[in-house]
Amino acid sequence: MTKRSKFLKAWSLVLLIGMLSLAGCGSNNANNPEPTTKPTDSPQTTDNANEGAVKLTGDFEIQYFVGGYGDAWWKQVISEFQQLHPELKIKESAGAKINEQMKPRWIQGSPPDFVYIDGAGSNTRQMVTDDQLMDITDWLKEAENADGKKILDLLIAQPEEYQSGKFHAVPLVFGSWGTFYDKALFKEKGWEAPTDFESFLALGDKIKAEDEMSVYIHTGVYPYYINGALLDPAIVAMNNYDTSIIKRINSLEEGVWKSEPVVKALNQIVEMSEKGFIDKGSPALNHTDSQSQWLQHKAAFIPTGIWVESEMANDIPDGFEFGFLPSIGQDNGGKFVANPYISTVAIAKKAKNPEAAKAFLQYIYTEKNGKAWAELSKAPSNIKADLEGTNAPALTKEAAKYYNSPNTVVSPEVVIPEELVTARNNATVALTKGEITPEQWGDRLEEATAKIRAKEQK
Amino acid sequence: MKERTAAATVMTKQKVSTRIGTAKTKRNLFIASFILPTLLLYLVFTVYPMFKGIYLSLFDWSGGSETYNFIGLANFKEMLDDGIILKAIRNDYILVVGKVIGFMMMSMFFAVALTRFHIKGSGFYRIVYFIPNVLSIVVVGVLWRYVYNPNLGFLNSLISLFTEKPFEFAWLGDKWSIFALLPPSIWAGIGFTIILLVAGILSIPSSLFEAADIDGASQWNQFWLITLPLTWEQMKTSVLWIVMTTLNGSFVIVTIMTFEGGVDNATQVMGSYLYMNAFKFGKFSYGSAIGVLILVLSLITTATLQRLMKRDTIELT
Repeated sequence: MTKRSKFLKAWSLVLLIGMLSLAGCGSNNANNPEPTTKPTDSPQTTDNANEGAVKLTGDFEIQYFVGGYGDAWWKQVISEFQQLHPELKIKESAGAKINEQMKPRWIQGSPPDFVYIDGAGSNTRQMVTDDQLMDITDWLKEAENADGKKILDLLIAQPEEYQSGKFHAVPLVFGSWGTFYDKALFKEKGWEAPTDFESFLALGDKIKAEDEMSVYIHTGVYPYYINGALLDPAIVAMNNYDTSIIKRINSLEEGVWKSEPVVKALNQIVEMSEKGFIDKGSPALNHTDSQSQWLQHKAAFIPTGIWVESEMANDIPDGFEFGFLPSIGQDNGGKFVANPYISTVAIAKKAKNPEAAKAFLQYIYTEKNGKAWAELSKAPSNIKADLEGTNAPALTKEAAKYYNSPNTVVSPEVVIPEELVTARNNATVALTKGEITPEQWGDRLEEATAKIRAKEQK
Repeated sequence: MKERTAAATVMTKQKVSTRIGTAKTKRNLFIASFILPTLLLYLVFTVYPMFKGIYLSLFDWSGGSETYNFIGLANFKEMLDDGIILKAIRNDYILVVGKVIGFMMMSMFFAVALTRFHIKGSGFYRIVYFIPNVLSIVVVGVLWRYVYNPNLGFLNSLISLFTEKPFEFAWLGDKWSIFALLPPSIWAGIGFTIILLVAGILSIPSSLFEAADIDGASQWNQFWLITLPLTWEQMKTSVLWIVMTTLNGSFVIVTIMTFEGGVDNATQVMGSYLYMNAFKFGKFSYGSAIGVLILVLSLITTATLQRLMKRDTIELT
């Protein structure tokens, strides 16, 4: 072989490697294509909220996360909306990883028009802090849905005011935290489902005495579960069912973590822990571990959400019958407190087609689509709708019954910065293990909140 | 005639020198053609992200916002007040020390056993010990989560055989769970150091051991006076490898086995805390600052270790 051909061979090898690595970069870029929407395609709209009168054109991009609720509902409403507006070019950016995939676009200031905020890597409050969502306060106050009904009147949970007096996102999914048990097991053992904390303790003593299973197992790896299902509703109950305390928590008010209702609720956890009700393995369990052990009757109660039925669909033993209690912390004769787990939809502040986004929002918030959500996504939507006679799962129907009952107080969701969520998680799980006291719990949370408050005020 | 010859000589000399010149350029070009692309990739994928990380650590950026606020060293100041950082550093060094001791003792034992004791089928064992290295760390983490499972796990079931009541300890849900991460980390990586030490021992001339045998040195003395000093380079490499992979990579095993850093940050390490801050708390630049901390601590640790483990090289002739 001549020197020249050797040289050429070596070079082509180098070039090949270079091109391969460049190809790697290229495919990365392909995930985040430049938006094709052009501001010049400005849509023609009228101010009439009734979408029948609106003629929408141009590009319209919808970002939605696909997780436990699936994408059947989204596919259905989007195709119906497309039929109503044939000239609109709808682009769906969807998937289980969509939040991460779209992140660069949000940072670069070319976000989609409409976004469903759910799943890992999404946080409505953070998006508001980052000034990514459109302030829709005035519009939403008057907005009517496709049937001509006022949207705000139809919502179970009202939009959260992440900034005082302002709406940036509308709750779409109304999942609910709660305490769950197996109705069939309770029937067999002759146990009555508790209606308040007193009867819960009494039943707990009984279960403990029988020594066949733990009273209460929880997801210690993700203490969101015990916070959302046990602590938060108890706080509202201890505040005389006045939900304003959650607003005080959400506004990071000083001293709220050491207020009487919070301390009382924390003492309930301490009591459960001291009585030995809490399964010792819990701190090491993730949600699938704890839920499957509960399904196998290793424990009588578990704090989780009503999505548990579809999440664990493959592991449910024969004859198992899901029972749901919104809360267990209320005093004798008190009301239930339902703590929602909400996913929202919002319009991007830099939406290129805000009119289409608004029309789409008006289109999806109808009773018909609320029922469709319950059937297709197997979870209650945030739209008030009678689910009897629909194909919605039994647990969803049972939960919906509680929400519609006058004996249930629907609490606003605790929405605090993620950093504080984690601080609270850590403190609560330490409390369940008896490693800290409610006072120390309060000290920790006050300190963490003060830090965030100082930063937000800057 | 003479002049002519002289002129010819000059010309040939010139020719030769230009030929040498082109040969040299060609050679340089040839070398450059291999070095440059590598250097370029290294710059783009290693040096640039490193400096970008250092740069970002001086800002207050959420990771999702369009605005960056320059805040100087405020992130590093915040770190001083952050108790979790201290815990994370402590946990990282528990892993480093535990892994170095565990790895070195066990891999030295296995390496000596596989080479010096003429065990039947030692080749087979070498393969067996290496199998965990081939497994993805994710698989290792999930496997060991089952071992440690408080109610259904292998370990508690084993202990329960000897206790009256079922033993229900949450190995991964305790204040000191960080120690429970040592066995899986060692199990998952030990094959590599065994292979390294086996190669080191095999490169020692057998005449040394034979001579020692004739002089009546015991196996133990042979280990201390021949095997250990002559495999020092391999041991040094192993220790540095363990330290660096632990400080930079313990994030994976922590996240897979204890998710968000265990009970009350019991297993939080710097890497996992970096991830939490950058991708969960919306504090990307604080995460970058933690990255800088990892960089600095890794540099200090490896430099110190290199110093401490410096020995005169033993020349085998």
